[in-house]
Amino acid sequence: MSKATAETIVRIEDLSVKFDVTQAVEHVNLEVAAGEIVGIVGESGSGKSVTALTLMGLVADSATMGTGRILFGDTVLQEAGKPRDKALYRRFQGEQMTMVFQEPMTSLNPTKKVGVQVEEMLLLHTELSKEERHQRVCDSFLSVGLKEPEKVFASYPHQLSGGMRQRAMIAMATILHPKLIVADEPTTALDVTIQNQIIELLREINQKEKNAMIFITHDLNLARRLCHRIAVMKDGQVVECGATEDVFADPKADYTRRLIEAVPSRMKPKVQVTVPEGVETGSAAAGDTEHRAERQKPVAVVEHLNVYYRDGGGFFSRKGKQKVVKDADFTIYRGEVLGLVGESGCGKSTLSKAILGMNKEIEGEIKHFSTRPQMIFQDPYSSLNPCKTVEWLLTEPLRAAGELDAAYKMSAADRKAQACDMLRKIGMDEKYLDRKPSQLSGGQRQRISIGQALITRPGLVIADEPVSALDVTLQAQIMELMRQLQDEMHMAYLFISHDINVVYQMSDRIMVMKDGQIVEQGKTEEIFQSPRNPYTQMLLRES
Amino acid sequence: MQYRTTKLIGKKLITLIMTLFLVSVAAFLAFQIIPGDVVNAILGTEATPEREAQLREELGLNDPPVVRYLHWIGGVLKGDLGRSYRYSKSMNEMMPVAELIGDKLPVTLWLAALAVLIIIVVSIPLGVLWAQGKSRVLDAFLNVLTQTVMAIPSFFLGILVTYLFGMVLHWFQPGGYVSYQTDFWGFLGYLVFPAISVAIPKIAMTARFLRNSMLTEKSADYVRTAKSKGCTDRQVMYGHVLRNAMMPVVTFLGMIIAEIVAGSIVVEQVFGLPGVGRLLISSISNRDFPVVEILILYITAVVIIVYFLVDLLYRVIDPRIREM
Repeated sequence: MSKATAETIVRIEDLSVKFDVTQAVEHVNLEVAAGEIVGIVGESGSGKSVTALTLMGLVADSATMGTGRILFGDTVLQEAGKPRDKALYRRFQGEQMTMVFQEPMTSLNPTKKVGVQVEEMLLLHTELSKEERHQRVCDSFLSVGLKEPEKVFASYPHQLSGGMRQRAMIAMATILHPKLIVADEPTTALDVTIQNQIIELLREINQKEKNAMIFITHDLNLARRLCHRIAVMKDGQVVECGATEDVFADPKADYTRRLIEAVPSRMKPKVQVTVPEGVETGSAAAGDTEHRAERQKPVAVVEHLNVYYRDGGGFFSRKGKQKVVKDADFTIYRGEVLGLVGESGCGKSTLSKAILGMNKEIEGEIKHFSTRPQMIFQDPYSSLNPCKTVEWLLTEPLRAAGELDAAYKMSAADRKAQACDMLRKIGMDEKYLDRKPSQLSGGQRQRISIGQALITRPGLVIADEPVSALDVTLQAQIMELMRQLQDEMHMAYLFISHDINVVYQMSDRIMVMKDGQIVEQGKTEEIFQSPRNPYTQMLLRES
Repeated sequence: MQYRTTKLIGKKLITLIMTLFLVSVAAFLAFQIIPGDVVNAILGTEATPEREAQLREELGLNDPPVVRYLHWIGGVLKGDLGRSYRYSKSMNEMMPVAELIGDKLPVTLWLAALAVLIIIVVSIPLGVLWAQGKSRVLDAFLNVLTQTVMAIPSFFLGILVTYLFGMVLHWFQPGGYVSYQTDFWGFLGYLVFPAISVAIPKIAMTARFLRNSMLTEKSADYVRTAKSKGCTDRQVMYGHVLRNAMMPVVTFLGMIIAEIVAGSIVVEQVFGLPGVGRLLISSISNRDFPVVEILILYITAVVIIVYFLVDLLYRVIDPRIREM
């Protein structure tokens, strides 16, 4: 694409945005031409979304523009020092510039039919009759690959799958053929396979319509696949901007380099590789033979396990029973990391709950050879009780264990000592004892939930997407911490993730799950080098 | 959908029957336990022992409680709600409870209907206006006003309404209640003012509640989507936010409606309305247990039925619930 001929659609000049006292965006310059896809890449809090929302005129009213201006074609949409002209913006919003949001479920109104919500675009900006509008909406559904437009039109958002909802959002964003589409993490909430379809769809639209596109993401790999140019943001500033391949081949900023390194990838060595069944690792010297014997002992054996989920039925009927996990059969050995990978809804969380004993609707057998297994959850923001202190949170598993088994009873002072000890292990210290979760960063919170899981020294820890809610740089830190703690405490992990690259980095062995079935299991390297199951092959290809 | 709704109605009916049964047992038992003798209450302390024994026999008070319960509930099921201990129809006939309540019920129901209408018509636009947050002065004013109105005791509010509309504006004649049987429109005209007294604090509560609910909804993702399409603030509020924000408000309205239909005792007293609320108070103090027991069943049924209607309304508002 030659830059000389392409018309500049939108220009952000020296933009600074402030919320009260916090500076969210500082002196950002960005230009997008027709036919071009520009990626804004950064971690959460980097200011990428605020930049986009300011451009779209959707940023909260509490935000103030310190410097700069935003131009759409020749029109000045917004200028520092002047209040946002909502009426002016409305002439562009929807018709000239549209946005695709991250979470299609919450971004669509749950109580309105999807078709009606798309139709609203036409209602607001055109004079078409009811029949014409209906036709246009159905046409646009077809153009984004929704095969049954009439059915989609009459559906409510919750009746569609995640991928279909995002397609409907894209139909909404493209129906009036705008000059600019801003896509804010449009694939983050979706499974890998769907992710790729959506990316392809966006690319197609860009090529066909020759519009300008801004693609906001935390995922460097995604940006690399889709965008012509990339702007890397950190702490409100653009630290690097350039043609995609140039940025990847020769990153100028330190931060970009770190970001590229932190992305979990199969091209890179694993996090502190420890291989089961006693292959020399060089880490443990004296107790190595001992370890080897240990590693062949199972901590949990699962045999022909079926897990059911009851929907609705009530106490009268049994017909609402669904088999979520089908005939799972595997063993977790001491001190290993067993990765479990699969897309959302495949039954991986249900399986993990069954192993923990939290699901009673099961058939088959689960044998434990260690103390009660513990769990690390995905979202450290919602899984820690916000009104308790770190000390309380860390000592709770000890209290609970004491209640269950007199052998674990200990004094409050001992519990506190253990909590301090654990804090040091997870890379924090005593001064955090009195803090509450809201006073901790996301990474620190996840460290606390790891501490909670490990403080009773369980033989098995189930980690359900423990890094999925975290930024890439944090992801790398947390995975390293988990490995390091394992070296010290020798427990086994069942490591669950939808991201096959993350699983690769962590696991000694891998299980791949699809529609409730474990379709393939084996050593990590073997599976990655020669996957036998077509589903595994596809997962590896797609990500 | 059709099937699910039918099933829901069936389920709710069973709940209604079971609850009414349990409440009837509880109500019956309660009056066996609480101290005070009915016979004394009816005859006074001056009566001869012979007369007392005779009345005891007439009322069936010598039978064991189980027999009396079965007798009573059997009658209720057949439509015979029993007879009042207190009110008499003629010299030697006690007033049937059905007639007694049947007389008062329309007053309470019409009062409730007017009050609920006023609440809905005023509080919803007020809540929406307030949630738009266009002017700080308006916000502060509404905040103080609703706060104050909620804090005023209802009898005092009744007096204020009587004073303002009755004595100052002369829109109605205080104490000039006319029965619905003699002059229906005069009756309704009089009822408007007690209805306003009932409605005012509830309007304040509902408007506040709706405002808070809308403010929460306003930060939802779909609102941002609507704005990105170029909707005006008004289109966003009425077209997208209101319906979603109504969910909790409907529950709240249900509670209010159940409360009003059960009888607004204080307001009935202040405006001299012969409604169910007043009947309840006088029956309790007179130990007129047959009346009290039936009123308890009435209030229970009202609460359950209103909540059932709320459930149905949920399904209308939110398509996600229809499929549950």
